[in-house]
Amino acid sequence: MLHIARLTKRYGALPLLDVHDFLLEGATAYVLTGMNGAGKSTLLRVLAGLAPAEVQDAAFDGVPVRLEPYPPALRRAIVYVHQHPVMFSTSVADNIGYGLRARGVPRAEAAQAVEEAMDWAGVLHLRRHKPATLSGGEKQRVALARAKVLQPRLLLLDEPTASLDGEAREQVLALIPTLTHAGSTVVMACHDRDLINLPGVQRLKLRDGRIESR
Amino acid sequence: MTLLDAVVQAFHLLLTGDPVLWRIVWVSLSTSILGLAIAAPLAVLGGYAIAMSQFRGRRIVIWLVQAALSLPTVLIGLLLYMMLSRHGPMGGLQWLFSQPGIVVGQVIIALPVLLAFTLAAVQAADPRLAETAIAHGASSWRVMATLLFEVRFGVMAAVISGFGRVISEVGCAMMVGGNIAGETRTITTAIALETSKGEFAQGIALGLVLVAIALAMNGALMVLQGDAHAARGRA
Repeated sequence: MLHIARLTKRYGALPLLDVHDFLLEGATAYVLTGMNGAGKSTLLRVLAGLAPAEVQDAAFDGVPVRLEPYPPALRRAIVYVHQHPVMFSTSVADNIGYGLRARGVPRAEAAQAVEEAMDWAGVLHLRRHKPATLSGGEKQRVALARAKVLQPRLLLLDEPTASLDGEAREQVLALIPTLTHAGSTVVMACHDRDLINLPGVQRLKLRDGRIESR
Repeated sequence: MTLLDAVVQAFHLLLTGDPVLWRIVWVSLSTSILGLAIAAPLAVLGGYAIAMSQFRGRRIVIWLVQAALSLPTVLIGLLLYMMLSRHGPMGGLQWLFSQPGIVVGQVIIALPVLLAFTLAAVQAADPRLAETAIAHGASSWRVMATLLFEVRFGVMAAVISGFGRVISEVGCAMMVGGNIAGETRTITTAIALETSKGEFAQGIALGLVLVAIALAMNGALMVLQGDAHAARGRA
């Protein structure tokens, strides 16, 4: 689905990423591991068009693309979720429908999609709540619903279970496999053993700026 | 006249609807609100653009905006007077000693306040807000609308501060407006004139109106902010 022949990223004179021949398959879950500061979040941000990098010969569905300027086709296909997702100060339902409104989806169709996404994430009862009143786990599930409702081809999740524990973490872990079943490719930067050991998840390790498949 | 007599007479003027006094209040409010209505969209857009962009000379622009905050209004009045006077580059407009002239002055006075406050509010916003909007497919305009909505209390504070600055300034309104009774006499120029004549009652009455306006504006902001805090606090 997404192939990048070479991706390099520097901070000043310091090289951070030097990724060669990076390929993501469709409807597959990947975990991206690596030491703190290895560049996991940076790589996801580059793929999401939120950080610049030098990219040579990238292709999406076999069609050559550039990441700068970030093409609308990738913007529609790829959604990024922060490690600590930030919510807009409207309602939960309004947050989940944000991307649909941005894409001009008709109101009735958007409302239906938002209901389904809230149901999927188990946050139907929170629809009118302000996000500031939500727990960390609830926020993460709302953020996942906000991303999933856009039916992304590629979903980039930065440490989706970080700072979650107990039931909240279990609930988020249970949602991940359903994303790939729905047809999305999911790349998760993480340290979470349970996430790494989820069945069917491909492992990628970022070491010295390069990606090793494991 | 004792101070007490002046205060009693001030309340009498206010409560009996003295037409001269309320005309002065109307001139002040209408020119200030119009000036603010013109300046606010420009400044909010400008503040957002400066906060979100990286360009050569950005720090110099911010420095100039912040320096303009402390520009004496009498200096703005002097410059505007020269521009609007018969032989000035804008003399053909015939706006000197007129309400449109005062409005132009109010716009120039309000712009730096609104710009600086909006800039500060947008810069203080969580950078993930704009990224989240972008990552979910928002256009540049929608990102801006989203971010300005998220920092709306900062923008409201900017507007209220801008209003406070324009309605309370005296130097520019005096020089450009000319303090013409019933035409360009504002609250502040009237207070200055009445005080110089030793007529304190009208000055006190107008001062009370200014205080009431300040209390009402800031009270409204506090209520709105209070609602937002209460919403955050509801679990």
